[in-house]
Amino acid sequence: MNVARAIPLLVLLSLFASPAHAQNKPAPKDALLYFVWPQNGAVIKGGFWCRFGLRNMGVTHAGDSYPNAGHHHLFIDVNEPLNPNEPIPSDKSHMHFGAGQTEARIELPPGKHTLQLVLGDADHYPFNPPIVSEKITITIK
Amino acid sequence: MAEIRELKSGKPGKPSYDVAPRRLAAIVVGDIAGYSRLMQLDEEGTHIRVKRTERELIEPTIAEHHGKLVKTTGDGFIAIFDSPVEAVRCSIVIQQNLVGRNASVPQDYWMEYRIGVNLGDVIIERDDIYGEGVNVASRLEGLAEPGQVYISGGIYEQIKHKLVCGYESLGDRKVKNITDPVRVYRVLPDVAAFNRLRRRREKVLIFLLTASILIIAGGALWYILSQRSGRTADQAAAPTSSAPRVAPKPADPPSAMKQVAPAPAPSPIPGVKEAAPVPPPAPAAQQPAPQPSPAAKTAAAPPAPRPSALVREPEMVALQGGSFSMGSNDDTSERPIHRVTVKPFAIGKYPVTVREWNACAEAKACGFTASGKDEAPVTNVSWSDAKKYVAWLADTTNKPYRLPSEAEWEFAARGGTQTKYWWGDQMQPGMAGCKDCGDAGAEQPAKVGSFKANAFGLYDMGGGVDQWVEDCWHKSYQGAPTDGSAWLGGECASHVLRSGSWKNDARYVRPANRDSYDTNVRYPTHGFRVALSP
Repeated sequence: MNVARAIPLLVLLSLFASPAHAQNKPAPKDALLYFVWPQNGAVIKGGFWCRFGLRNMGVTHAGDSYPNAGHHHLFIDVNEPLNPNEPIPSDKSHMHFGAGQTEARIELPPGKHTLQLVLGDADHYPFNPPIVSEKITITIK
Repeated sequence: MAEIRELKSGKPGKPSYDVAPRRLAAIVVGDIAGYSRLMQLDEEGTHIRVKRTERELIEPTIAEHHGKLVKTTGDGFIAIFDSPVEAVRCSIVIQQNLVGRNASVPQDYWMEYRIGVNLGDVIIERDDIYGEGVNVASRLEGLAEPGQVYISGGIYEQIKHKLVCGYESLGDRKVKNITDPVRVYRVLPDVAAFNRLRRRREKVLIFLLTASILIIAGGALWYILSQRSGRTADQAAAPTSSAPRVAPKPADPPSAMKQVAPAPAPSPIPGVKEAAPVPPPAPAAQQPAPQPSPAAKTAAAPPAPRPSALVREPEMVALQGGSFSMGSNDDTSERPIHRVTVKPFAIGKYPVTVREWNACAEAKACGFTASGKDEAPVTNVSWSDAKKYVAWLADTTNKPYRLPSEAEWEFAARGGTQTKYWWGDQMQPGMAGCKDCGDAGAEQPAKVGSFKANAFGLYDMGGGVDQWVEDCWHKSYQGAPTDGSAWLGGECASHVLRSGSWKNDARYVRPANRDSYDTNVRYPTHGFRVALSP
């Protein structure tokens, strides 16, 4: 295959291959995801209501692809980095709030735990840039 | 508030009296039913949805019908139209669009407007209108049921011969603070369209009936002929002879018919004769007819080993039921371990496949058409989607198809064992599809039946796709029923998922593992299998 013919092909391929991020929905630069409660370092007895705060974006039902709106995910003791090219995992440490919930009752075993919020789009993918909260550490007595 | 009062007192831009601010108009008043309840549920979300609905639906629809949006209140709007016909038309369009929008959200979150339309003389100001006509319109709106349009007698007189839809007279109603009673009519949805739909349905039904009679005849003929050849290959292949609770695989059709399909012969719409012995290692090759379209070729294709049918039913395995210990101590959600007795039932041999799902989608009974290989399990299915499929399957086959209960699922998954996995206490390769079971990273899980079957002859009971069951989510078994029935009640915003998926690790493959997810939300690893009451 000669080079001249290969170039457009390569360009085409790279178009499909490289911007995996391009499928992630854009988020406003000033969007802010945060914990209303608990705060970093909190010491809590038993179960608690975890409340999610979001500024400059809206909370919607998963499946609704309105611009600048998403739904919450709570990561508990997750250390793996967030993969922007995959739907946010769903298991016991990745909780989903696809009905548009903005708070949840959380029960954790005693000890130190980390909590982090991640906003997902209609198809549960992270936004671009990813909208994530500070990762906080709490202690359950 | 002070600003509003100032505005209304007419400070900025006093209405100049030579403009004659009075006029006759059709007034439309709309208001969200149960707004404060919605706000209580989800303040921010509701606010966003209301604003979005106003922006995307209310405002453009009013403009399209040559109306003018006078103002929006927190939960409603007021618009005026020169033409009563346009006013009512606009109201109907808004109501019908809202039905579509609500379809994708749980009922608790439905946003439904009540709409009242009245013809009256109004005083028009820059940002509001006044007059008895407006009050009557808003009283009509108050009378209306959520999702309905109520119109006054004045409007009715103007539109009755011009707008093709039904009207139901509700008589004269006395309304608050208005001296004379108001004649009220309820606008019924497009009657003509409704009748058209009914006629079309009747035609399809007659066609299906004829087709199914032909199939029954063909099937019966084939059945008589094939019984003589008496194939027994399946019995030899099925790994079930040692499991006491399993009904033997349908080697002799009459007994299998009894268990799986209680009354196939007299039923007006027949299913596939599942009693036909199918060699279990080749699930993909069992049905040569690609799509069970209503125009099934009946029994005309001689090389096919059995007649094609209207609906391809999932392959079922009949279980005799029994007692088992449900739960484990591995996770708090699986406690306490409790004894459950399950009645006889049948359960899908595999999770529902893309091909099976798409038959439902083609019949317009399931929400979306699934992509992917025909024999892969269907994914991205919400609990409500799964319920739609089983309802459609039960309806078209006339058999009591349903989702399994959580207890039935675990009973079936354990296959008579009490070990951590159905094959023992250690993970072994080749038994299940999960993240660290040896096969990962694929866009969708392996096709159904790629791993070993358990002692009951069931595939993918653990790993593969998460599987919805009928039960509402409860965070432990405290208070769970012990008769194998589905545990309903409680806060049912989420339902139970079993099996774990190809994206989860080995802990999730355990038959005792349980998870939950929002009832109406789709997620790419969620599928289901069906159950059938005897």
